[in-house]
Parts: sequence; structure tokens; C-alpha cells
Amino acid sequence: MSTNESTTTMTTDRTPVDGADVCVIGAGPAGAMVAYSLAKRGHDVVILEAGPRFDKEARVDRMKDQLHPTHSDNEIWDMGGERDEYSTSGEHSWPVNQRRVKGVGGTSLHWGSVVPRLYEKDFEMQSRHGIARDWPISYEDLRPYYAQAEQEIGVAGDDETPFFPPREESYPMDPLPLSYSDKLFKQAGEELDITVHSMPMAINTGEYDRNECQGYGTCQFVCPSGGKYSADIHVRKAEQQGATVIDEAPVQRLNHGPAGEEITEAVYKTPDCETHRQTADTFVAAAGAFETPRLLFLSESAEYPNGLANSSGTLGKYFMGHPPAGVIGILPGENTHQDEYGPVVSGGIHQFYEYDNPDDPQRGSVNMFTINVAGPSPATMALQSDAIGDDLLNQVDAQFGSTIGVNMSIEMLPREDNQIGIDRSTTDNHGNPVPDVDITPGEFARKGQEKGLQVGSNLIEEMGGNVVYAKGTQTAEHDGLTPLGKGGYHPLGGTRMGDDPTESVVDPTLKTHDLDNLYISSGGVFVTSGASNPTLTIMALSLKAADHIHEELQA
Amino acid sequence: MELTRRDAVTALTAAGITTTAGCAGLTGETGSDAEPMEVLVSLADVLYPSDIEPTPEFIETFMYGRITDEESYREELTAGIETLNQLAADEQGGAFHTLSADQRRSVIENTDLRTGPSEPDGSDVARVNYYLLDELLFAFYSSPTGGELIGNTNPRGFPGGFGYSPSLEQ
Repeated sequence: MSTNESTTTMTTDRTPVDGADVCVIGAGPAGAMVAYSLAKRGHDVVILEAGPRFDKEARVDRMKDQLHPTHSDNEIWDMGGERDEYSTSGEHSWPVNQRRVKGVGGTSLHWGSVVPRLYEKDFEMQSRHGIARDWPISYEDLRPYYAQAEQEIGVAGDDETPFFPPREESYPMDPLPLSYSDKLFKQAGEELDITVHSMPMAINTGEYDRNECQGYGTCQFVCPSGGKYSADIHVRKAEQQGATVIDEAPVQRLNHGPAGEEITEAVYKTPDCETHRQTADTFVAAAGAFETPRLLFLSESAEYPNGLANSSGTLGKYFMGHPPAGVIGILPGENTHQDEYGPVVSGGIHQFYEYDNPDDPQRGSVNMFTINVAGPSPATMALQSDAIGDDLLNQVDAQFGSTIGVNMSIEMLPREDNQIGIDRSTTDNHGNPVPDVDITPGEFARKGQEKGLQVGSNLIEEMGGNVVYAKGTQTAEHDGLTPLGKGGYHPLGGTRMGDDPTESVVDPTLKTHDLDNLYISSGGVFVTSGASNPTLTIMALSLKAADHIHEELQA
Repeated sequence: MELTRRDAVTALTAAGITTTAGCAGLTGETGSDAEPMEVLVSLADVLYPSDIEPTPEFIETFMYGRITDEESYREELTAGIETLNQLAADEQGGAFHTLSADQRRSVIENTDLRTGPSEPDGSDVARVNYYLLDELLFAFYSSPTGGELIGNTNPRGFPGGFGYSPSLEQ
């Protein structure tokens, strides 16, 4: 399948649900958690999802697409085309559609499932370091929700992992064992006083109510077995609790009542070109950090001429990401056992998450994960070649087996001029202006990348390896990087959280300051980015928001 | 070395993928004198290393068990074999599976097979590359047998279990 056109029948009932308590827009990790948490407490929930409900049986074919050199990353989950148009007005291109999935499960269908928490300092950057801004909530406020999210999705992790923020509860599953390449990094690290440890992974090692990992080695971007957590699991659980999912139903705008105090309906389109209106008592925009600001801009009205929930003027602003960097080396004559282990990631390095000089931070936090699949797979190498027979085998054998690598995501600081806007000159398949991404990560992120690249290079050289690639989006010409090396990972901010309605879009409960019944649950509410992979925090925030919504609905 | 169905079936069954159904697509008529499987085996025989003896069981498992849209794949298979036979007739004067191994290799080397584009929606030859040659090569190099030849019995794309982690060699 190479397009995202509807493959379901036109007869599927996509009409609105009568009497809904809550309408959730988006069936990714954020929407799934909110929907499940509320549905299980008896609320009538409807989820409107722009993309389709994917056939799980087709995941093997998607996995093959991932390994086939013909296909680009966005094709794996049918992203691209008029539906997913976007613009980039910043200094470099931004491969948005290679970094997201529209459909039931959302971007978690293709994520790497690395789930560290944010650190305490990430919530207190202004008070601790005098930069950026504090969140209106602390790590302690979110801590029970982190534990809840870890239980929900099933995380394999080590309670004794050094550097990580404090935790009271054990991880639900024992950590994944270190891979061979993790051990190589660990051994080299011991010589350099660098600690290599296991990373918390949302991968079922056998104790959760889904398939066990079967070792395809393709977690990012497809897990055919379903051992990797993806949010379609909690969408299904929400449905089992009575929630309704309407797929292929992109929301066009949110309408509010005469006074502009409450949302009254979500207007959505269906594949039969019909327009529907879903009413509810409460609305949760959980369409991700790219699409949620866009939806609010498209919902402008006489009361909100600059976009819904934008009386602060900060909608779309303070957008962030985690600028990536990576190091790949070759260990001549060594078998690094790449590809054999299964999960793409099992180890990491968080020693450089905290700053070298806490009183004068010069660089972003560094979140490093050692990679068990550095370089192309044998199948990919075979398909890239023109050779056949013994010649082909000899080529693949010569190329494969000695690579080793470490990837990293880096903190960037929020800046007002990094933003998601609207490009009114370009429209999607429904005639709506598309999102525009304008982002320049800045020096703080560049210095973080330099730190991580140096650490990764030192480790590989300590092993006796040759570093053949050591680049980050801020240290090299961005648009010359490989698709995987470019930015766009972990979109955050744009609908940030705060106590002050003049400087933020949502309050600490994730309710918009402007509208009494509109919540936003997404990475967009992040005030600072930290460096940890953000999805666990997004799910924890969603569970917290669900508690607030529940209390409000009961009242 | 004969490729067997055993390891593939074990792994694919573990993955919840039924591998026993759907063989009709590989045994039906294609417009040539050969059954599709006969052509695929003759193709795999020159694509795979010389020590490997491809079997219908191996190909059936990977070529078919991994294809979820059976009808559309069957159409591509039928059309692809027709194209392959046309190329073989032009180059060597016979249907592909009737040629010697050297002649089959010559067909591949003297046409856009392998060297040309491989695309699911491309030209006739591009589709042969995508649906026949690449499927066969993917099957082999993501199988334990293919992986073992390059020092990896659980290559990416194969559900051979997780957590394999030998001790460091000192």
C-alpha cells in the first residue's frame, strides 16, 4: 500500500455519537490514555482519528517496506501526499512525515519505545539555571503518573539505573539484558569513566497482555509481533470500556458557543465527503504538536481572531524538538553481533544529561542510546546491490557485521520565534491551510550534540574502532544528512503549559486558559524539552489530565 | 545446503502468521508451461549463493506467508513471470525456467533485472525486480540460513527471538 487513501468501505458508520461526554481528537498515545482512563470510569468517550485503523496482519509487509531501499520512511505507515502536506519556513527542511504516523495508535506505531522519564531539573530550568522557564508542575507532581503510565504500557527497566530521577516503584518488567554491542560500550566506558546502563524500553519480555518480543529487529519503525507497545492497545482497551473510535475522520475545526467560553462541536469530514458535527461536554485536542496548533489556528472566530485558545498570543510558539546526532564506527575484524539481538535499543548513557557546570549550563542535556542495529540490515544490503549468487553473498558478508553505533537526542531551549504556524498558500486534501514549521535549534543544542558526539567517538575509538560517521543536525549541513540523521524527532511545545494566561495556552491541568471545556494533551504542552524521549511524559500528562477531566465531569 | 521450511515455519507460526494456506497461488497456471513455483525456484537458484539449493517449501513460506494481499500478489507474480519469460526468450530463446543456470544468469546480467529500478508501481521489469527478485532475496537474507552465511542467525526481518547476547571475547 503506497497511499493513505481510504481502504475501508464507504459503509462504515462514521456518524457522530449521541450524548458523548468527552470527544478526544487523535488516537495516538496521548488520546489513547485520556480515552481509556475516562472510559473505564464510565464516561462516554468518542475518539476522532484523522488516519485509518491499520490492519495488524499487514505489519509484516510494512516491516519489509522498512528494510526495502525503494521505500522512504514516510511510506511505511502511508504518510505523505495531499492529506499530510506541510511547509517549512525555517533554515532547513524538516521531515515531518517521516517522523509521525496518522492512524489508530498514532506515532507510537513507529516509535523506538525508549521511555526514560524527564529529570527533576527539566521542570525547573529557570529557578535552577536561570534559563528558559519553569513548568507550573514539578517532577513530584508527575511522578505517580509516570509510574501509572509505565504500568499501563509495560516497561522493562532497571530500578538501579544510575543518573535517572528518583522512583519509588519498580519497573513492571526486568530490564532487557545488555546486547553484545552494549557490552562493548560498557567495557570501553569503564576505561573512560563513562557509565553505560540499560534503558527502559516499552517492550514486552513476556509478562504483559500482548505478544512477546520476537526479535524482528525493526522496532523503529514496525513491530510485526506487537511486543513493542503502541497506543492502539489502549485505544482497543478504551473501546472495550465503551468508547467509540471514528477513524478517517479528520477534524476540520472546533466551534464554540456564542460567548466563546466553551467548545460545542468538532466538525469532521469522512471518506464519503460528508461533514459531521460531534458534540460533547468536554473536548481533548490530542493531535500531536504539529496538528494541534494548526487545528486551533483553523478554528479562528470573531472571538478568537488569532486562533482558538490564543488570547495569550503564544499559540504555536516555543516549539521545540530533540535535535538528533549519531556516531557510527567500524571495528575491523570484529563481529559486533549487530542485528541478532532483537530490540533496536537496550542500552544507553545518561551521564551527560546533567550539565558539566550546573551553575553555568552551556549545553543541552544529552540522552544517548546505544544501537543494536547500526548500519543497514543484510536484506537491505542485498537489495541495494546489483550482484547475484556468490558475488552478492561476498558483498554482503564484506559489508556486514563490524559496525557499532550510538544515537542521541539533545535538549534544545524554547524560543518564541521557533513556531508552528499556518501556510495559507498551501492546502491539504480538504482545502485547509497546512502547518508551517519554523525552527532553529540554536547553540545550546549544538553544544549538546558536540558533547555527545565526542563521547560516542571516544568510546568507539577506545574499542579500537574507526569512527566513520559523527554528525548532528547542528554540527553538519542539515539537508545533506541521511533521512534518519535529519531533525524532526519529538515535536514539543507550541501549546505550552503555564499558570499565567497571558503567557501560555493551557493551565497545569492541561485545560486551555480561554475555554472551559477544551483540554490539550500532547507534547505541545511541554515548557522545556529536556532530552528524554518524550512519549512516556506525554502519556503521564495525559493520565493526569484525565483525572482532572473526571473530577470536572463528576462535579 | 538445502533450505528447509522448518526454521521459517517455526518462526512465522510464533509470529502468528499462518503459512500453510494460500499455496494455490503458486500452483496455478501462468500462461507458460511451468508452474509459478518452478520459475521461482529457477530464479532463486541463480540469485542465491551456489552452495544453496532453494526448495519450494522455503520459497512458499517466505514468498507467500509474508504476503498478506494474496490476490494482488498473485497478479504480480503471474505478470512478472510473463515478463521474465519474455526477457528470457529475447536473450536466450526460451522460457526462463527451461534455461541452464549460466543462461539464466546471462538473462539477469544483460537486462535491467537487478541493475534497473525496483518499484512496486513501475515498469514491467521494475515490478519483476520488486515482486520477484527482491522478494526472493529478502527471504534469503532475512532467514537464519542466509544470515548464518554472514555470521548472524537472527538477521533483521526474521523473528528469531530476542536478547541474544554472547559474552565479550577478551
